[in-house]
Amino acid sequence: MEFEPVIGVEIHVELKTKSKIFSQAPCTFGEEPNSQTVLFDWAFPGTLPIVNKEAVSYAIKICTALHMRIDHTLYFDRKNYFYPDLPKGYQITQQFRPIGTKGEIVLTIGGKERRIGVEQAHLEEDTAKQIHLNDISLLNFNRCGTPLLEIVSLPDMRSGEEAMKYVEAIREIVTYLGVSDGKMENGSMRCDINISLRPKGETAFGTKCECKNLNTIQNIKAAVDYEIKRQSEILNAGGKVEQETRRYDESQKKTVLMRKKTNAIDYKYFREPNIVPIDLDEDFIYDAVHSMNKLPDAYRKELAKKGLDEYQIEELLKDQDFVLFFEGCLDLAVKNPTTLWNLLMVDVLGYLNKEEKKLKDLPFSKEQLVELSDLLSQGKINSRQGKEILLSMMTEGKDPLQLVEEKGLEQISDQDEVEKVVSQCLAQNAQSISDWKRGKDRALGYLVGQAMKISKGKINPALAKEKILEKIGECGSEKDK
Amino acid sequence: MIKVTKEIIDECAKNLMFELAPGQRELILEDFSTVMAQIDFLKSIPGVDEAEPMTFPYREHQKILREDKPVRPLPSKEAIKNSPTRLGNQVKLPKVVGNKNDQVDE
Amino acid sequence: MTKWMNKSISSLHDLLVKGKVTASELVEDCIQAIGKDRCNSFEATCFDKAREEAKKITSVKEEEYLKGIPFLAKDNFSTRGVETTGSSKILEGYVPLYDATAVSRLKRAGMILVAKTTMDELAMGGTGTTGHKGVTTNPYDKTRIVGGSSCGSAAAVSQGIAPLALGSDTGDSVRKPASYSQTVGYKATWGRISRFGLFPFATSLDAVGFFTRNVKDAAYVLSALAGHDTMDMSSSYRKKERYQNYVLEHRTLKRVGYFKSVLEAMKDETIKEAYLDLLHSLSEKGYEVIQYDYPEALLDALYPTYMILSCAESTSNNANLDGIRFGPKAKGECKTYEEYMTRARTDGFSDMIKRRFVIGGFSLLSANQSEMFNRAQRARRLIVDEMNKFFDSIDYLVLPASYDKPKKIGELSTAWSTKPDFLDNILTIGNFGGYPSLTLPLGVEDGLPFGISITGRIFEDGYVLSMGNEIESIVKRKDIIAKEVK
Repeated sequence: MEFEPVIGVEIHVELKTKSKIFSQAPCTFGEEPNSQTVLFDWAFPGTLPIVNKEAVSYAIKICTALHMRIDHTLYFDRKNYFYPDLPKGYQITQQFRPIGTKGEIVLTIGGKERRIGVEQAHLEEDTAKQIHLNDISLLNFNRCGTPLLEIVSLPDMRSGEEAMKYVEAIREIVTYLGVSDGKMENGSMRCDINISLRPKGETAFGTKCECKNLNTIQNIKAAVDYEIKRQSEILNAGGKVEQETRRYDESQKKTVLMRKKTNAIDYKYFREPNIVPIDLDEDFIYDAVHSMNKLPDAYRKELAKKGLDEYQIEELLKDQDFVLFFEGCLDLAVKNPTTLWNLLMVDVLGYLNKEEKKLKDLPFSKEQLVELSDLLSQGKINSRQGKEILLSMMTEGKDPLQLVEEKGLEQISDQDEVEKVVSQCLAQNAQSISDWKRGKDRALGYLVGQAMKISKGKINPALAKEKILEKIGECGSEKDK
Repeated sequence: MIKVTKEIIDECAKNLMFELAPGQRELILEDFSTVMAQIDFLKSIPGVDEAEPMTFPYREHQKILREDKPVRPLPSKEAIKNSPTRLGNQVKLPKVVGNKNDQVDE
Repeated sequence: MTKWMNKSISSLHDLLVKGKVTASELVEDCIQAIGKDRCNSFEATCFDKAREEAKKITSVKEEEYLKGIPFLAKDNFSTRGVETTGSSKILEGYVPLYDATAVSRLKRAGMILVAKTTMDELAMGGTGTTGHKGVTTNPYDKTRIVGGSSCGSAAAVSQGIAPLALGSDTGDSVRKPASYSQTVGYKATWGRISRFGLFPFATSLDAVGFFTRNVKDAAYVLSALAGHDTMDMSSSYRKKERYQNYVLEHRTLKRVGYFKSVLEAMKDETIKEAYLDLLHSLSEKGYEVIQYDYPEALLDALYPTYMILSCAESTSNNANLDGIRFGPKAKGECKTYEEYMTRARTDGFSDMIKRRFVIGGFSLLSANQSEMFNRAQRARRLIVDEMNKFFDSIDYLVLPASYDKPKKIGELSTAWSTKPDFLDNILTIGNFGGYPSLTLPLGVEDGLPFGISITGRIFEDGYVLSMGNEIESIVKRKDIIAKEVK
């Protein structure tokens, strides 16, 4: 039988605020255990949650990017359960009134658009970190209270690739917004994927399995593809898929059972009575929305209009710093964006990689790179000269126009100047002209080289070649003589 | 609604992480018969099921959130000093195995 | 029995300003009085710290009303460096790292904390008999309860051990014991005093309260405690006021209401007579005394609504008590964290607490929540809506604070009340709606006191206190020190 996979994704995005969501402890990672906490993080009796404005603002930005409805009144709820990493015995979350609802994200897959519904996004707090040793576990409360936004998709995805693209799109959005590191490998973005199969054409859902421990984007596709294969084998053999939580094992490249879903815990959700409803100010929401960074899709549209191809665009989008830099250059009315792209993404990027430097370490300005790009695209210098100038710009921070002058690199492109040099060149090389006329085509290169020599390398070789041809006619025109 | 039995009472206690002393289940069972009668009484009050559940004693317009400015954290020695079960600056527990609550293993 | 501590805050203030007594002398007097406590009113003490603080106070200015005066705090207020247990085994040995806002504000006003007072375990009780240190008795009769949960604070202020003790009020935990101890017990509007550092029982009902021996003192204390606190999001941004001005200027509102059904249900003739006398006097003083027909079904709903909401919220509020980060270590070898937590909690909570937790937890289960917890929340809405309707045309609800003598210690039951009398639970209205509510002495029957309660609109704390002052001047019972009759 043919099956249709039904896939839903839950993503926990760690928001990179300076302080925790409900306490004033710093959100600093990699410090000594238990050195980044305040009273509330230990749930000392009598301590109370106080909601961080920035966490709310970040959530609004993400929800807006996902075209969600924003709840203008904030409510929080308690999710009650006992676990060592949960000091209060409950997690403060938004069970009944999530901050964002009913959004969507548009993916482009194989050139086609796919709309994936985003059911809701809610704010909550992260738990403490446990370290498991031989026979004991240690608790470190530094992470406890880090703000999380949980984004829940509708079960709209149908393949491992779609799930992967969905997560990638969300990752791109949160990193471009600057509200999260979005790194799956260090847990600043965590995904749980629900996968079930149903016979093609069927509308009811099959039994789902939840898949965890997906710490790279690639693992998402691998895990989903594996699950689809595993579940269809079970179903085809006449078996039943059991509801369970599975974990992706990278070394085995397959999902393995973590636990069966029996007796789901009753979380006894109820409204958090310590946080009175917060009416979000129109101004506050406006400010959050209008301070959003430009998102990747907007860049894609704009850059395509500027004549970049898909490859060029995607390469740029890999690093927000480069897009921002590139955009800044476009704003300076660079004459040829492709020339600029080549300078930035081939020469500059290559240099930075080699030197292990960052874009912000470069000693020149956008204006200067635009000048260089324009010199190239207008044929005032040739590409060899361009590279030479760029290197001086990167190493010495010199101005490109000044470099052109200093090195005397500017090409002779003026018609009269070219005419003069070419005339001189032809007058000095009668032999080569007659060689050419007799059919020796190598003579042309020689003549251009001579013109170059006369002009001390400054003549625009293309123009020189054109002018020489104009004067000496076709190759072999006097062959028979 | 779940029917109250001794087993359910035990389960409720277990979920709240304590054990009941002998004889307590029976007393709770007795309490429950009163509680359920009182629930039925609440149900009989005209308009009760149309009323909006109330959490806060009153509703005031509150729009102020906390600025995202961290304060100096507690020194870890200070924070840990009330813990009866610790190792260095961390809380020590018997090894936590399994993942009862859907928490990701780290 | 004491030289100074039997005096009111205002008298002590005058003496301090005039230099007739020093803060150190007051603290010593308080320490001595604590030693002579006959009701089992105390948990931890902090005498050395108190002495140290007193030494720093060399003079008191006229405007420093509370400076240099000792105070006590119920053991559910977090106190830095002073063991705080909520009178429960589960917190024995816990020494908080911080002061509750109510405590720090009194300290900032110059008051000196001398000791912590007993309470019903984790404030979950109304008898003052369930704390880990045993029964706290009524200062008028040691065979009877003083009421709870703020039993130690009521007994101490009543005995003249200190002129002020902090308490907390979730159902009537300040106002009922005040009634039984002939003190003034005040519960502010929910959100008027920060709850930061108050160990929570049922958050949506919990309010900081306190005991004094006259209404004017209470008004001054409220002025020191009120106001927004950045550590408590539910604390109101409304401007705090100088509540004593309402009292000093006799600013009262004019319409006093009472419930018809309450009057009809009252059995104790002495209390009823005193109550009717009071209403009569108020009317003679020009107040409009209005009978209000508050639906009896809603009065009968008070007990179940209160019990279900408070038990449910308390299971969650006390889920942090697990012997991991604070509190006593679980006994024995534990192989798993579940075992560890379970041991700590099994040994730490009394049977009574566990019974309430089981019922509270059950009412929150997803299969039961709409029938139980949410239904109680809905009933609360009806109770409050009806009360707000009352306040549309009436300024105060004036009712007896207790309707019987305090119970004999041997006659208590911890079972869920099968036939609750709404009179016993009527003060919970103040918590359901977050209203400011005050108890002050009304009379004595066979040597045992009973009080009168005044409840007003939210944030009309000043008017409630001023009305209290008015009634105090009619009843003429203030600054009373308990004399043991039995």
